[in-house]
Amino acid sequence: MCCYEPFDNSIFCTFHKTLLVKMKIRKIWGISLSLLIIGLVGSSILPGFLTPEVDFNEEIRPILNARCMSCHGGVKKSGGLSLLTREDALQQGESGKNAIVPGNAEESELYKRLIHHDPEERMPLDAPALSEEEASIIKKWINQGANWETHWAFVPIQKPRRKYGLDYYVAKRLKKEKLSHSPEAKPAILARRSSLDLIGLPPTLSQAKALAVNYAPKTYEKWLDSLLANPHFGERWATMWLDLARYGDSQGYQKDKHRNIWQYRDWVIDAFNQDMPFDQFTVEQLAGDLLPNPSEDQLIATAFHRNTMANDEGGTDDEEFRVAAVIDRLNTTFEVFQGITMSCVQCHGHPYDPINHEEFYKAMAFFNNTADRDLASDYPVIQTLSTVQKRQITAIESWMDSLKTIGIDTLSHPDYLAFENELAGIRPSRTPIMKELGGEECRVTHVFDRGNWLVHNEEVQPDLPKLLPEFKAYYSPDRLGLAWWLVSKENPLTARVIVNRFWEQIFGMGLVETLEDFGTQGDTPPNQELLDYLAWQFMHTHNWSIKGLLKEILLSKTYRQQSSVSPSLLEKDPANRLLARGPRFRLSAEQVRDQALAVGGLLSSKMYGPSVMPPQPEGVWNVIRHVMRWRAATDENRFRRALYTYWRRSSPYPSLMTFDVPSREFCISRRIRTNTPLQALTTLNDTVYMEAAQGLARFMWEQKALSVEERLIHGYERALYDSPSQEKLDLLKACYEHAVQHFSTHPEDAKEIVYLFPDPTPEKAAYTTAANVLINLDEFINKP
Amino acid sequence: MKKLISEFHSEHKNFLQRRHFLRTCGMGMGAMALGNLLGCAPSGQQGIAGDLQGVSDMHSHFPGKAKTVIFLHMAGAPSQLELFDYKPVLHKYDGQDCPQELLEGKRFAFIVGTPKMLGPQAEFKQYGQSGSWVSNHLPYFKEVVDDVCFLKGMQTDEFNHAPAQMFMHTGSARPGRPSMGSWLTYGLGSVNENLPGFIVLVSGNSQPSGGKGLWGSGFLPSLYQGVQFRSKGEPVLYVSDPKGMPRDLRKATIDAITEINELQFQEVGDPEILSRVAQYEMAFKMQTTVPEAMDISSEPEYIKELYGIEPGKVSFANNCLLARRLAERGVRFIQLYHRGWDSHGSNEFEALEGGFLERCREVDQPMTALVKDLKQRGMMEDVLVVWGGEFGRTPMRENRGGKVAPFNGRDHHGEAFTMWATGGGIKTGITYGKTDDIGYYPVEGNVHIHDLQATILRQMGMDHEKLTYKFQGRDFRLTDVHGKVVRDILG
Repeated sequence: MCCYEPFDNSIFCTFHKTLLVKMKIRKIWGISLSLLIIGLVGSSILPGFLTPEVDFNEEIRPILNARCMSCHGGVKKSGGLSLLTREDALQQGESGKNAIVPGNAEESELYKRLIHHDPEERMPLDAPALSEEEASIIKKWINQGANWETHWAFVPIQKPRRKYGLDYYVAKRLKKEKLSHSPEAKPAILARRSSLDLIGLPPTLSQAKALAVNYAPKTYEKWLDSLLANPHFGERWATMWLDLARYGDSQGYQKDKHRNIWQYRDWVIDAFNQDMPFDQFTVEQLAGDLLPNPSEDQLIATAFHRNTMANDEGGTDDEEFRVAAVIDRLNTTFEVFQGITMSCVQCHGHPYDPINHEEFYKAMAFFNNTADRDLASDYPVIQTLSTVQKRQITAIESWMDSLKTIGIDTLSHPDYLAFENELAGIRPSRTPIMKELGGEECRVTHVFDRGNWLVHNEEVQPDLPKLLPEFKAYYSPDRLGLAWWLVSKENPLTARVIVNRFWEQIFGMGLVETLEDFGTQGDTPPNQELLDYLAWQFMHTHNWSIKGLLKEILLSKTYRQQSSVSPSLLEKDPANRLLARGPRFRLSAEQVRDQALAVGGLLSSKMYGPSVMPPQPEGVWNVIRHVMRWRAATDENRFRRALYTYWRRSSPYPSLMTFDVPSREFCISRRIRTNTPLQALTTLNDTVYMEAAQGLARFMWEQKALSVEERLIHGYERALYDSPSQEKLDLLKACYEHAVQHFSTHPEDAKEIVYLFPDPTPEKAAYTTAANVLINLDEFINKP
Repeated sequence: MKKLISEFHSEHKNFLQRRHFLRTCGMGMGAMALGNLLGCAPSGQQGIAGDLQGVSDMHSHFPGKAKTVIFLHMAGAPSQLELFDYKPVLHKYDGQDCPQELLEGKRFAFIVGTPKMLGPQAEFKQYGQSGSWVSNHLPYFKEVVDDVCFLKGMQTDEFNHAPAQMFMHTGSARPGRPSMGSWLTYGLGSVNENLPGFIVLVSGNSQPSGGKGLWGSGFLPSLYQGVQFRSKGEPVLYVSDPKGMPRDLRKATIDAITEINELQFQEVGDPEILSRVAQYEMAFKMQTTVPEAMDISSEPEYIKELYGIEPGKVSFANNCLLARRLAERGVRFIQLYHRGWDSHGSNEFEALEGGFLERCREVDQPMTALVKDLKQRGMMEDVLVVWGGEFGRTPMRENRGGKVAPFNGRDHHGEAFTMWATGGGIKTGITYGKTDDIGYYPVEGNVHIHDLQATILRQMGMDHEKLTYKFQGRDFRLTDVHGKVVRDILG
């Protein structure tokens, strides 16, 4: 009679009754009332429908969380009452009275106490009373049976009803607010925006102009394809992933000594470039060592969890810090892939989500069986040649082979010695990896008493909290089983959480703002349909292809909108959560630097390899007496992409820190963007930015046939991919002229300003000054 | 047009502020700006609007006594037994084996087996009306004993430098939590628009072993991290104009940036642009205010002599004087580190008869001068000064590797040590807490690090249980789930 899924009996059994009611009311309303009534005939839920059912997730849970849970949650349970689950809440409290009598609010102690006239009795104690509205909705809810609903994030992802694109879901939500999409941005702006988004760098000016001239849906799609195929794509997305993987080139803690683990960073770059499906990407990083006959690459992937800190300070107990690393692996895994915050459960039951203390240690048991034990050597490690080295060797070998085939003695060849030296210089490097213990070496996991690693309670086996989809028997009880479980299409969290992370990178804010927390204390998405649609697409249409997902997002009308905003829209939606305009926000620390070097023509395109040390101010690394020195590069490595900068956790690169990079001691899901005068000082005065300005200025002063104005326009376009208005140009020109005047009378200053290039004329110094203005413009530091 | 923009700017500020109070801080704020550094603490005073200038205490939980904290951290942990905690009985045991009951179940950083006891390596006398004990290593400090409060029963959970320093400043031994100064600027905002609210000054042979995380903002927005002011080289990284760029040209570039940005705002309407305009203006001002604040040469001679400053050098004396100058300018939290106190006895630098005495000479006069100077300027009510190491030292002699060390030294000891505090409503001329005859355990008035933190926050007007920030699903606070305000030392 009806093709609509919720009427299907099998689904009926699977889900909570109230959830079903909610879905029916919400989803069907728009379709057809007659269908609905037909659907409800013969169904037992008719009465619930006639008096509109209270929506637990929307109306009740927020009240419980805000007003009750701090005393009656998973931790405190005052008076013996916990409101974490229905099961808990229906039990008798210490008073012997029932807090909730389903169907009878008047008999329910909870309701009686909410409206009690005696302030000593009235709940919440020592806090303002609930409003009349709040109390009456609770009354209604109890009278309707006090049903709990599964928190939205844990509900399975439904197949989208029809084949609408993501713009449909955005438009639908906008319509509700009487809003609509903004017009499309200019093609040149889209070229810059999409290039910064996909490869983290601006396009070349000629490419952008070509796209602008031939702009059409097909050419834009081809443009995106070429960006997705660009090897810098992997570098841009590795940057995001390395925050989650807490990648650093040092061990952390006091000594914070060097750790050789850059091959893992290169593995991440390659994985993104090869568009490794996200399920494989997950499995290899969490459990590559447990795959049958793992390849070198799959072992290096496991360094994901060797990015935990290690403590080499005298007098520390290795076991204490081994345990700290294991717990960090657990917390990180659940934060990265599930958006669940486990760390509080180390000491006690989760205060807001139904995860208990013992479940934490069962989950920890998955990770508590590896050979590493907080050693200074980072044992166990693998010795491997990097991809670049392997390519080098292959090239030399094939050169030798080609000589042999034409009968030339390689030894007598004039280039032989040079190649031999090159070969001799190729040394494998070490990468810490995960190694599972077997047999008698297996570790036993215990519950720690209130989180204290020294006090062991009962022994536990690997398992997952009941809240999550079942960890079925066919999964092996180890990291590999856990990894497969995470990427099972039945797991409702992984795709939602991951899609949300990519969305945040593009739009500046996640569909769920709290990227790290999809639990009941996290943000409720204003457009869950859109999130679920994307999550479904990611798993089923794109088969976990990140490039596929990104392409779908960047092709959308929603993405292609102008980012300008009217005062009324700003008032209505200041943070652009409803997406009535395109994304506009400050570039990441890495992008700010890379972009400046790129428009200055200075950026090195060299990929991979050990981390590098571009110049940083004297004395910054003077952290500990005897360990490492910062040796500023004098070659190409001065101008490598920011992601290759040596990352010492106790002292990250200062100009990047100013733009909000984390220290990466722990997994960080979001960088909170700030806007500070220290940022202004950095892009105004830091050597890197003054050198970038010289580079950009060169493109102006070399255009000898052009007038000053035309040259300034050229510089502006090189930086911003748009032409300046006459007003802006006048301002830029006034500044240029001020500078020419100064440097003409102070040629010695011109020499200080222009030093990368010969013949520092006053004009060159003045163009550099103008370029210094350009790379400090808000438009430059923001995504357009 | 200018007027329009400035009107919009101020309206937007109000709007941002309202939004700020209506939502949890750090969520939905978009980018945050130092120029309008708002207090973030959930204070129950929601929906406050108005101008932001000088409203620094608006968000406190109750009226605070102090406006500024100067924290003098003696990194490496000086021995209380050679400075303030006089234990004549320890002379008697000098050279004898340490009784087993003091060793059972203990973890030490270096002591192994049975160490020998070590008598006080100093002479003590009582000073002032309070009759406080001070050793001969601090000839200046004895003059101000009636102006401070000694805390002799300090206790910490950690016995290694980096974790104990972390614990002292972030309330947790593991890196990654916000520092006390970050919590306070997050909670209270900044008074001075032209200087950061949380400033760090370092002297001694290098940075403290806890690293920059000691003044990191952890999971709080990086806006609240401590900014290191350096007394050598650029006072703040990148604060100096590039060589060859004179001030008037810098002014011209910032004017051009500002005006083009304002045009951009008209086109795009994003209020974040105006925030950036304000940041550039402040950056330009900081280029003057920072060097001005750091210029101690302008101080009168008698002040220079009082502190014993050494212009052009990195010294604790210079930093103490700078701390006073920054306090005068309304900086919220000024953290000084002076490193080199780790007197194990394993070499001359780390010896009670060597490096330790040098450190005493380096800090004695300046820290005394700071107390006197704040007092003579009537700043005592407003400025809370706290002095101490991350832990104390054992009454036993350190015996690394089971051998007798070449010099006199003591191992790390977290269970009893001495700190002192003054100003900001702390009772003076008293000693709070007492240790046993050998200074091993407190016998009364023990103050745990979390208690000290709760007390500092209290004196700044913040309730340590309410100053929270949600991260990884949990409301975090400086004092974790501990901490009691030490009411007995409050005036």
